[in-house]
Parts: sequence; C-alpha cells; structure tokens
Amino acid sequence: MSYYHNEAFENPDYHFSETLEIDRRGSSQRNPFSHQTPYDSSLHDSYGEYRGREQNYPVAIPMASLGPGSDYNQDLPSTSPYGNFTDSFIRRRNRRPPDEIFMASSSMFETEPVCCEEEDLVGSLASMPTKERIKAIQKMPETMRKKREIRNKVLQEITKKAKHRRAQPSCCTQCLQGAAVSFRRFGNTLSEYFHQLRVWHKTLKIIGAEFGTSVLSYFVFLTWLLNFNIFSFLINFSFITIPQFLAAEPNNLSFTGLELFTGAGYFQQTVLYYGFYTNATISKIENGPSYNMQLAYIFTVGIYFVICFLILLFSMAKFFSKNFINPQEFSVNASKLLCTWDFNITNEKAVKLKQKNLRTQIKEGLTEVNKEVLNFSAMERVLRIAMHLLAWVASLGTAVAACTGVYFLSINNLELFMKGHGNDLESQTAMLVLPVIVSLLNTLIPFFFSWLGHLEKFQSPGQHIYVTITRNIILKISIVGILCYYWLNVVATSESQCWETLVGQDIYRLVLVDFIFCLLGSFFGEFLRRIIGTTVCLNLGLPEFDIGRNVLDLIYAQTLTWIGILFSPLLPGIQMIAFFIVFFVKKVSLMRNCQPPRKVWRTSQMMTSFIFLLFCPSFLGVLSVIGVTVWRLKPSEACGPFRGLSSMYAAVAEWIQILERYTVSKWVVWIYQNLITSELFFFILSSFVLIIIYLYGQIIQGRKTMTKLLRKQIVNLCWAVTSFPCNCVKEGGSPSPWDLQGNLTHRVVTKEFYFQDVLLQLPLQPAQEMPDYLEREFDRNQNTSYNEVRWSKEGNVDSPIQNLGHDAGDGIPFLLRSQAAVTIYQTQRVTAACQGDSILASRVKRKND
Amino acid sequence: MGGSASLIPRDLLGEYQELTFLSKQEILLAYKRFSELLPKEERENAFSARVPKSQILTLPELRANPFQHRICHVFSTSETRDDSMSFEDFLDMLSVFSDSATSDVKSHYAFRIFDFDDDGTLDRKDLEQLVNCLTGQGEESRLSSAEMEQLIQNILEESDIDRDGTINLSEFQHVVSRSPDFASSFKIVL
Repeated sequence: MSYYHNEAFENPDYHFSETLEIDRRGSSQRNPFSHQTPYDSSLHDSYGEYRGREQNYPVAIPMASLGPGSDYNQDLPSTSPYGNFTDSFIRRRNRRPPDEIFMASSSMFETEPVCCEEEDLVGSLASMPTKERIKAIQKMPETMRKKREIRNKVLQEITKKAKHRRAQPSCCTQCLQGAAVSFRRFGNTLSEYFHQLRVWHKTLKIIGAEFGTSVLSYFVFLTWLLNFNIFSFLINFSFITIPQFLAAEPNNLSFTGLELFTGAGYFQQTVLYYGFYTNATISKIENGPSYNMQLAYIFTVGIYFVICFLILLFSMAKFFSKNFINPQEFSVNASKLLCTWDFNITNEKAVKLKQKNLRTQIKEGLTEVNKEVLNFSAMERVLRIAMHLLAWVASLGTAVAACTGVYFLSINNLELFMKGHGNDLESQTAMLVLPVIVSLLNTLIPFFFSWLGHLEKFQSPGQHIYVTITRNIILKISIVGILCYYWLNVVATSESQCWETLVGQDIYRLVLVDFIFCLLGSFFGEFLRRIIGTTVCLNLGLPEFDIGRNVLDLIYAQTLTWIGILFSPLLPGIQMIAFFIVFFVKKVSLMRNCQPPRKVWRTSQMMTSFIFLLFCPSFLGVLSVIGVTVWRLKPSEACGPFRGLSSMYAAVAEWIQILERYTVSKWVVWIYQNLITSELFFFILSSFVLIIIYLYGQIIQGRKTMTKLLRKQIVNLCWAVTSFPCNCVKEGGSPSPWDLQGNLTHRVVTKEFYFQDVLLQLPLQPAQEMPDYLEREFDRNQNTSYNEVRWSKEGNVDSPIQNLGHDAGDGIPFLLRSQAAVTIYQTQRVTAACQGDSILASRVKRKND
Repeated sequence: MGGSASLIPRDLLGEYQELTFLSKQEILLAYKRFSELLPKEERENAFSARVPKSQILTLPELRANPFQHRICHVFSTSETRDDSMSFEDFLDMLSVFSDSATSDVKSHYAFRIFDFDDDGTLDRKDLEQLVNCLTGQGEESRLSSAEMEQLIQNILEESDIDRDGTINLSEFQHVVSRSPDFASSFKIVL
C-alpha cells in the first residue's frame, strides 16, 4: 500500500485565509531588516557554517533573485540559491496550530536580524505539537547535520520550558507518558511485522525497475484489490463463519475432487455458501450472551459495503483532486520533460530503452509541432463518421448477441440442473459450460473490438484506447448485468430448494473459470506471443504488457466477488488466493516475455480511471443488485439464515421491534424510525448534498474562469515586460545588488524585481511600508505617487497597481513588471486553490513572507 | 533484519527516524547496504566513514541512472568536494527519494540535480545537459543541434514565466506541480 499513498501533493492546508493575514503582518515588519546593506559578509559568517553542502556555489548576483527565501539571501553573501528554506517550511507547517503561536513566530522571523533567525525557528518549532514538529523538520531540505542541530536546540528549548513550568511531573502524567510510550512501541513492533509481511514489496520494486511506473500501476492496483479482499475475508470469516462453526451440522456428502471446479456437491453443505448458515441464535452457555446469526450476516455484509464505499469514494476524491482538476489546458509537452525521468528504473537495459523511447518521442513531438492539421474533404468526413457508426453498431450488436446467448444458455442450464441434480460427471461438466462460455466471450470479443479499432483509423492513439476500453466495459458490464437479471429474476423464483446457494455456486464457477482464463491469457497472450515474435515472425518483436485489458479483467473479477459476498461469504477468500497467484504469474510472465511499454502512459491519471471504473459501473451496480436482493427478494424457505422471512431486511425490522421493549436501547429505535426508514430524512439529506455539490461546482467554475483570465494577463504583461528595455537601473552609488552590476545584469534585476521581491511583497502591504529598495526605485522615478496605493484586502485582481504612477519613461517597465507579478501571484493563488497543489500555494506564500 | 537492529544504537535510530522520511526498516536496510560498500576493516565504524563516489555508484539503484553523478554531488557533504558520501548523506538521499517524502522536498532536490553548473537556475546549458541525459549520451543518440535548440526553446516558452531565459526554482516547481506523476517517478527505493 505504501506505493500507493504518497504524501506528496496532498497538503490540504494551502488556502487558509489566515495566511493572507499573516503575510500582511509579516511583510510590514520587515522594513528594518531590508535596510541592511547586502553583501556585507562580516555580519553573517556564522550562518554559513552549516551549509557545507552549499558552500561550493559561487557568489553571484543572480542567486539573490532566486530562492524563495530570497529576502534573506540578499543579505547573505555566502548563501547558495538553495539556502534558507527552513523558515518557510516551518511557517507552512505552522498554519495549523493556533493563531497566537503563528503570529508570534512569524513576526519574529521578520524583525530579528539573521543571526537570531535560527533561534526563532527553534522557538516556533518548540511550540508545535510533537508530530507537527517532526514533520516540519523532516521537510527541511537541509543536510542531516543541520537538521540534527535544529532538533537538538528545539529539544533543549522544550525541556527548558517544561522545567520552567513545573519542577516535577505528577504521577498521573508519568503514568500516562509511560502508557503512551509503550503503546507507541507496540505500534512500532506491529508495523515492523506488517512490513515483513509485505511480500510483494521487493517484487514491485523489480517491476518498477524494469518497466517503469505505468506497468507498476497495474500491480499496485492488483495489490490494492488484494488488500480489499483480505479485509473482506477477515471480517466475513470472523463474524459469520466462526460462529457458524460452533453450530455446525455434520456434512454427509462425499468429496470427489471435481467439486473444486464446480463448487457444487460437497461444498453445498459447507460454510462456503449461504444455504448452510443457520437462522438460529447461537449461545453456547445457558443464559449467556447469544449471537444472532441473521443480524450478524446482514450487518457484516452491510458494514463491509459501507466501508468499501467510503474507501472508494475517498480514494477517488483524492485522485481526482490530484490529477483531473487542471485549469491550465495549454500544452505542457516540452516542459514535461523536466520531470519525466523515472528514477525507479534501475535496470541498465531498461534505462537504454527508456532513453531511446524518449528520444523518439521528442523527435516526434518536434515534427508534430510543425505538422499541419489534416483537412478532410466532406466526402471523407462522411465516410469516417459512417465507419465509426458502423463500428459502434457492430460492437454493441456483439455485446447484445453475447448477452442473449448467455441468457438462454443459463436458462437451459438451470433446467438441466433442476432435472438432473445427480452427482454424475455429466451434469457436473454441464455446470461448467456457462462459465466457460462467459469467459470465452470475455476473452475473445475484445480482440474483435481492437480489430474494429484498427479499421476505424482513429486520429489520435488516445482516442483509440479510450473507445476500445469503453466498448470492453460495455461488454463486460452487460454480461454481468444479464447474469444478475437471470439470478434475481429466474433463479430466485424457480422451485429450487435454496436459490441463494445456486447463485453462489454460479458465481464461484465464474470466478474460478475467469481465474483460469487469466492464467491461460498470460500463457497465450504473452508467452506464445513472445515465442512467435522471437522465432517465427521477427518483426513482431516482444509483446508489450497490455495494461488496459488486464485492468479490466481485474475489475470484472472484483465485481463478481462483490456480488457473490452475500451468497457465498467466503468468496473473497477464494478471490484473495486467486489474486495472489495472478500477481506472481503475471510478474513472471512480464519479466520473461514482455518489454517495457513504448508510449508514455499517464500513470496517475490511469490509476484514477481504474478506481473510477471500479466505482462507477462495478461497485454501484453491485450495490443495486445487493439492494434488490436484501429488500425485495424472498429468501428460500428451507435454508440460510433468513429462512421464513419475507425479505432479508425483515430481520432488521424484527430486531428493532424487540429492541423497543427495552428502555436502554430506545435511541437505536429512534434512529431507525426517524432517520433510516423515513423518506423525509433522505429527501432532506439528498437535497442538502445536491446543494453543496452545486455550490462547489460553481466555485470551481468561477476559479477556472479567474485562472484563465489571470493567465491571459500574465502572458500579455510578460510580453510587455520583455519588449521594454530595462533602463531603470543605471545609477551607481549605494551598494545595492543591481547597482553593483549595472546595466549588464539588468535581466537579473528584472527578475529580482518582479518575480521574487517586489511584487510578492507588494500586494499585501500598505504602500507606506514598502521595502526599502522599492522606495529607492520610486525615488528614482520621482513622479510616482505610491502613497495613493490602496491594496485591496484579499489581493484581488483589481489591485490598483495602475495608481502606482502616471509617469511614462523609466517608470513604465517597472509598473508593468509590477502588474505582471501581481497577476502571477494571483494566478498562482487561484490556481493553487483550484488545483489543490500545495507546492504552488506554499511558494506563493513563501514569496509573500 | 533482526540481526542488524543491534548495529545502530536505539536512540540514534530514533533520531534518524525523526530527521528523515524513512522508517526503521528502511534505515536498517540502508545501514546494511551502506556498510557493504565499505572495505571490511572499516565496517566497524560505518558512521564516521565516507564512501568514495566510485563505490556509491556501484549500487544497483544508481548504477544505470543517468543522473548518478549529480545525485552524488548534490547529496555529498564532503569538505574536499570529492562527492564521497557519509552514512548520513546516504540517508539524506534515500529520504528525499523515499515514498513518503513530500513533493516539495522532491522537487527542490530535483531542481538541484538538474542544475548542472550549480548556479541556481536552469539555463540553456543545463537544459541541454538534462536533455542529453534523458536521451542518452552517445553520439548517435543525441539530438541534432537544431532539434535541441527547438526543444529548449519550447521548454522555455512553456515554463519560463518571467521570460528571463532561465528556469528558476519557483518556475520549476510550478511545472512539477502540474505533473502528478512526478512524485511517484522521483523515487529510489533500496
């Protein structure tokens, strides 16, 4: 799981409004500090000693323009561009603790000279809760030595404070502390064991090393599902199966071995199926606590589904906010190169291959930019549309045909089963016909679909993949759907003794045969394909691992398991074993037969789509099937925990009636009557949720528009900035960074001005308290009237930068730059809010500080 | 794993856990791997020893990495600038490349790794070296100079917000923040 839960990008605390407050406060107090002469090295010698790592950076002006903490850098001669991040890091962490701490620490940062800055840092760290503090220290991009130094100082500070407060801790707190320590130790040991249990950790690493993150994501998804099933198996086993063992009746059916495939016969009388469970209340001790099987059954399954729902919902929300809310639509093709290298890949051959792929991609990308968009004539367009339509009709037709076939086959099968019911070999193999046919359809029709896709000649490969995947989903879901219809409408109303067990057996067979087909698929699809590709038909080459198809198989298998939980509580256990085997078989097949994928997959978006698919057709469909079964269908008369009831849900209603007699449990009854069974409550709840969704949608829409506007402004202004010569920095005199370098470095000054220092402080402070160098700048452009500046409270778009000056000439570039920077700042802020990326927000904040 | 637990004193181990993003197991594993890089007689005092760069680069995790030299350089605290690594440097490196490191820290170090001339900005030269590392260093695998020019132009056009011809840390982090894959790909696990 740890592969999966990256802490990256999920800082939720980025758009707290108080940050703005603090920014304002902080920057207004910075003035005394900014009067200091830059490049006076005598002041801060002591500061450099921690920076062993950075010392080799040459002293040069451009640096001052650089680091987010550049207000300090200006004054630190030997500082590298990468110096001094600690403060901003701390402050970012600091947003959560109570306001007072925050205010105190952040104002201290600004007013004290640099030599005391570390003290402040230590002070603010000391005032944090332990967990926050550790995290803050971890997040500093510093060397270990520096971090340790800070940590030790913080600890000293804390002990000092603690002594100050009270001489000795009371007995009670000691006890508590001792308990906390031992609890933590226990947790550590536990996590240690869990760590050792993760057998696939190493395997995942090897796969990542050779095939990169995209193939890895399939395996991560597989382990995720595996965890789901382990969890489900554990709760089903402990809450349903173990009590059943206590009340078990002897099983007098014979075991032949073929039952392993059919799931019938011997297994009918085991805990594997619904029918075997008792409807009695189990109590081993006379008058002791008893265990109601009906309630246990319905609540275990219900709670499992609720937990699944929440897990899916939250992971989906997390992934969505990370990957899909992307207000900047413009292409990032070239700059994507900056973060494209997959450091997971450590295999030499894989590295070479990856480099080769990247090279081809870059070359293709460069030629594509120059290529013109293909223009089709009207005739061609009509032909293409007709082709697409035809392909859709063909694929939907196949799906419908497959469904009909499955439906009639299953009805036939049921008749045969009802008639024969013997344990002879013939009827047992007949049972296997349906699952084999279903699996065959599921395996073969996708080939037809991909062939159709090739015929259609899509313009972009992305379109091709998406259309093919959509068709496959439609096929799989409709097959599962027709099977569900058959189970709920035909099997449930048939005259069989125990229809739930029949359904359970059907699902068992489907799961098993699907598993076998999955193994066969890697044998034929990958192993034989490699043999053919390397010996017979050399230009085919090694096969690539088909992530899309494999993921769909997984989703299909998981859907079956979810449907089956009610009818066969131990099915997750079987699926767990199956997934476990699939994991290792796929891994071996991948390592032996496949080559790394040639095209770059968007890994994290893929993961999001996997989970979305798992949620939307699969899980929601399962929920409705389960809902119908629980609320509408009549359980069999002769078997299962719910025998004799009008519906499974009636067990809960009866239980509530019993509870009504006791005064202690009146609240349960109240909740049941007023919340769970009342339509009004659900009506209010759903309308409330709808309103919230609508509001959020509007907010997102607004932010997107805002970002778009601001982005346009940046582009315009940046253009304006670059087209003006920067001649405002000619004068020599006082030792300021720009004066030292004169005209030659006007580029640097430009940057320093608008990107880092000036504006990023500007928007949030009154003009009178502008930093010193700004004042100087203004003095030079005398006619400016900066007193008129009124900064709008939240740094809105309409910040009256226009008021800054009316004078043309030297002032203009500066003004433009100012506005550009304000716009950049605002865009970033809004973008950050939209996108949910902590980096941007923190950066913006850092600049403001 | 149990055997190596005694090699690092308990409090030191706790300290490492607090200062890095690594778990206890990862630190122990790192220690094991690190002491394997040392010659036999020095293994006793692995905490104070420094492993030369050439040894570090024999690690399978770094051996094939095109940025191996930069990684060593960025994480080394050696006074003599020979890019040798102490155990703590090694832990620092693993911490940044670990699963649980924040994307902020990761992008910060990624920027430093890509900043080949250590001047604090990614200028055209840095970008060129970066692209060369990505496409492979060999003569036949490099891009032609026209292609390189065009590519760097494209990169700068997209990510150089302030149009000064270089990419600074803020701009870099901005680009990275739009690539959700970054955090999962900027990862080295022992």
